Amino acid sequence: MTTATDGAAAPLRILILDDEPIVCKRLKPAFQKMGHEVETFTDSNAALARLREARFDVVVTDLKMEGADGMQILNGAKDSAADTQVIVITGFATLETAKESYRKGAFDFIAKPFKLRDILDCVKRIEDKRRGLPTEAER
Amino acid sequence: MFAAIRRWAGRPTAPQEGERPQIDLWRLHALFNNFKRILTLNNAVLEEMAKMERALGGEYIFDRAFLESSVSTIANRVHHVAYSLNALTANRHVPLYDRYQEIRTLLDDILANNVHALADEAVLPLDAIGWEHEPLVGMDLVCLAELRNHPGIAPVDGFVVTAEGLRALAGNVPPSSGARADDGQRAGETRAALTDHLRNLTKRCAGAALTATLTLVGGDEQPLREIGCCRIDVDGERREALIATLRGEVPLVPANSRIVLADDRQSSGNAVQEPEAGAVVALLAHALEQIAHAAAIHATDQSGLANLCLFVCPQPEALLKGTIHTRVGSNDALAATDGLVVDAAPADGAAGDTYLLRRTHPFSLLQSRIAPRPNGHRFADQRRASDAAGDQPHLSRGSALLAPGLLQALAKTAMLLERLFGAPLDIHWQLWADGACRIVRLRPLAIAAGAESAPAAGQPPEAVVLCQGGQSGQAGVGAGPVVHVNEATDPETFPPGAVAVARTASPDLTPILHRAAALVTEFGSAAGHLATVARELRLPAVFGLPAALALLPPGTEVTVDGGEATVYAGAVAELLRYGAQPMDLTPQDREYRMLRRLLRFIQPLNLVNPEAPDFSAEGCRTFHDIIHFCHEMAVDELAHFQERRHELGALCIRPLALGLPMDIRLLDIGGGIQPQAAPNPLPEQIGSLPLAAFLRGLLAPQAWDTAAPSLGMRDILAGMPRSVGLLAAPADTLGANLAIIGAEYLNLSLRMGYHFSVIDAYLGEDSSRNFVYFRFAGGFADQERRNRRARFIARVLAAMEFKTAIKGDLVTARLKLADTAILQEALVALGALTASTRQQDTNMRSEADIEDRFADFAATFLTAFRQPHPAARAGGGDEAR
Repeated sequence: MTTATDGAAAPLRILILDDEPIVCKRLKPAFQKMGHEVETFTDSNAALARLREARFDVVVTDLKMEGADGMQILNGAKDSAADTQVIVITGFATLETAKESYRKGAFDFIAKPFKLRDILDCVKRIEDKRRGLPTEAER
Repeated sequence: MFAAIRRWAGRPTAPQEGERPQIDLWRLHALFNNFKRILTLNNAVLEEMAKMERALGGEYIFDRAFLESSVSTIANRVHHVAYSLNALTANRHVPLYDRYQEIRTLLDDILANNVHALADEAVLPLDAIGWEHEPLVGMDLVCLAELRNHPGIAPVDGFVVTAEGLRALAGNVPPSSGARADDGQRAGETRAALTDHLRNLTKRCAGAALTATLTLVGGDEQPLREIGCCRIDVDGERREALIATLRGEVPLVPANSRIVLADDRQSSGNAVQEPEAGAVVALLAHALEQIAHAAAIHATDQSGLANLCLFVCPQPEALLKGTIHTRVGSNDALAATDGLVVDAAPADGAAGDTYLLRRTHPFSLLQSRIAPRPNGHRFADQRRASDAAGDQPHLSRGSALLAPGLLQALAKTAMLLERLFGAPLDIHWQLWADGACRIVRLRPLAIAAGAESAPAAGQPPEAVVLCQGGQSGQAGVGAGPVVHVNEATDPETFPPGAVAVARTASPDLTPILHRAAALVTEFGSAAGHLATVARELRLPAVFGLPAALALLPPGTEVTVDGGEATVYAGAVAELLRYGAQPMDLTPQDREYRMLRRLLRFIQPLNLVNPEAPDFSAEGCRTFHDIIHFCHEMAVDELAHFQERRHELGALCIRPLALGLPMDIRLLDIGGGIQPQAAPNPLPEQIGSLPLAAFLRGLLAPQAWDTAAPSLGMRDILAGMPRSVGLLAAPADTLGANLAIIGAEYLNLSLRMGYHFSVIDAYLGEDSSRNFVYFRFAGGFADQERRNRRARFIARVLAAMEFKTAIKGDLVTARLKLADTAILQEALVALGALTASTRQQDTNMRSEADIEDRFADFAATFLTAFRQPHPAARAGGGDEAR
């Protein structure tokens, strides 16, 4: 098992936004276990405000929410720091929303329900990319 | 499809002028479309159900929207299945719509956090409580009820008066969901139910006092809260009940309330006598009504009765009382180490003992603090403490109150309850004067702030990975010694708290799961039956872990992390400490509880026997029941449509040119027969994958190479009623072997000799949808020989890992979720079995014949299923038997 503590990699700063608390509740400790720093939000406007004042390496956001939706969060994250990687998670996945997410610069698009392992692997790929390591697909 | 039907319906000669067309093509078209739709929808529903059920295991991240969309999708499909069946059968199953609507209403109520549909039960005995009742009775009582199904310390007997029951008894509290027109009747029914349950309880625990505990069942965000607890004693001499408040935030009744029962015989001056059982019950019922009134007053001040329940249990004379904290808390006397703390004290209030035990098998004692007993103290085994420690140390004043066996049993039970509850617990137990030890109550354990730190990064630094891989069936951590198991393992020999390691995920291992701390299998998937059982029990489980038997020798101490699909060497304290990690999905999560409740009305299959009287639309209790019922009825309809649906005309079904003394007629619903096939297709012109496999076995020369059966007069006589029955059947159905086939589907009804079998199989691209169902009954010989043949068939099916049930000479078996190649081999074997058992009942003269026949058959047709001997695989396996 490889973790963020291996090698010289610094822990990632991750923001999780989902209006369903259960998603934040389960993802936060999973990322913490990988050695990362995590902040969670269930209110999208609060998350957007936080993105304006602090820089995050990874943003995991739901798509459909009251207030700012996932696309606005994606834009907000990219406006704050262009190298912030955004993972979009949604229970209403369509080809169109997936295409739009990628066009706006999302790192990945994951349909709910998803395996915990899938999103951990996704963050691992971001970590590898930042460290200049070849990703699984490139190997 | 229509073109295909036109082909099936093609007749050798055109109808004569003026003759009514013999085949109604449009109706036939609709018939088969409905049949195919039922099959397709059934598979889609099963797939959705499996997806929902797998989400329980903690492998998936999901939210409430997933639950809502899953219920909506499944419900719509189930409704469509019911509609299609009615379209297929000319509306012969209309009551299905009512059942569908009732179940749908229950599911919608659960999604809306509305318990009214279930709240009709005023009084629920503990043994009737399931997960669906959790919002009514609380998770503590659900877990206490579940404990009845496990080995270890049993729960106390008892029943629950639900909020609905309390409301009916109190009488003057407006219901939260609209007034009932029949409040008076409801109160009468509740009193009658209360009296019945009290009568049963007092019969089982004669003379015992009762304890009544009023609890506020937490909503989504609130924990369980005990409002108050009373003890009710019946004084036989005075014919009165005394209610004493034991504990609670509010007194449920004024201090030491007394209830006196009016009794004519007392006033007539009769001598004091033992109260009649009826009088005792009446006194207890009055006392409980008093408490219900107190609860109503409390509820009026607070949040209403909607979330209150009253648990009533017997309280016989106790010798010892105590608690178990499944994690060490800051207030525990032995707080230095991680473990499980058991407190025990004499019921008279004398000083007690405290024990610290490991949280894993064998639950060894780590530390204890034993209070000195006064000289002459009587232990639970009736012996007395003395200073004479010499030759009888167990009688000395420093002896522990609890023997090691009881301590370990308490620890095992406590850890099981923690697993079921999904959080550390404060468990109360009692040892009664009659020697019975019971769990009487459990509550979430308050852990001091800061004690639950975030999980450490990565795997524990000192943990050695023994093996890793496969699929997570149920997340969680379990540790213990490895015990190899297989279908032949006697569950009673499996040490509770050990880690079960098996080659295949056979459904036969189910009883072992009730005793294990974790499960690992080499083969099998997280979508299989055993994985479902593991999730039901919240047992950490990994499926399909390669070479698990070789890598985990018997006796090795291991820790299984079900979520990570990893097995570590030894008991990894760090993992075990954070066993219920915050990322895990546990019963503490609203979504988990909701999903589990939803599944209770979706997933269980109760209608399994089409011959049972309750195999009806009215008997359907879940969506699974509905789709299964529809599937069986649809197959039955197609098998008999020639007799039942005369308006469809005389369909020209194509006979299969088998070259054997048997007649199989083919009804192709698409791709079952190759386009260039002759009017009487040859076996090699069959396009149906399952039928082609079956025919390979049926036509194998070895399958027909059996000695001619010897029929005695007894056999002829035994077969007479059957043969007369067959001869009385309409000529067109006698001996009609009908195969409804598609490219991936086979439904074959076979009469061979005097037995009858059905094979239903689907072999598509997606192996999760594939199945083979086999049913066999009948014969010509006497009952015992027919039963022997049934046992032989069951033996063959079990060797192919079919889930098999046998009842007399009826064998039913099902194999699913296996690779297509394995299912094809199974169909080849079923073909051979059909040929070789055609009159084998007459040869089954002794029990030994079963094994002889099996050995012969297995050598020829079961080579694909032959497994190496476990001892050879594991280097001298030490399997529990």
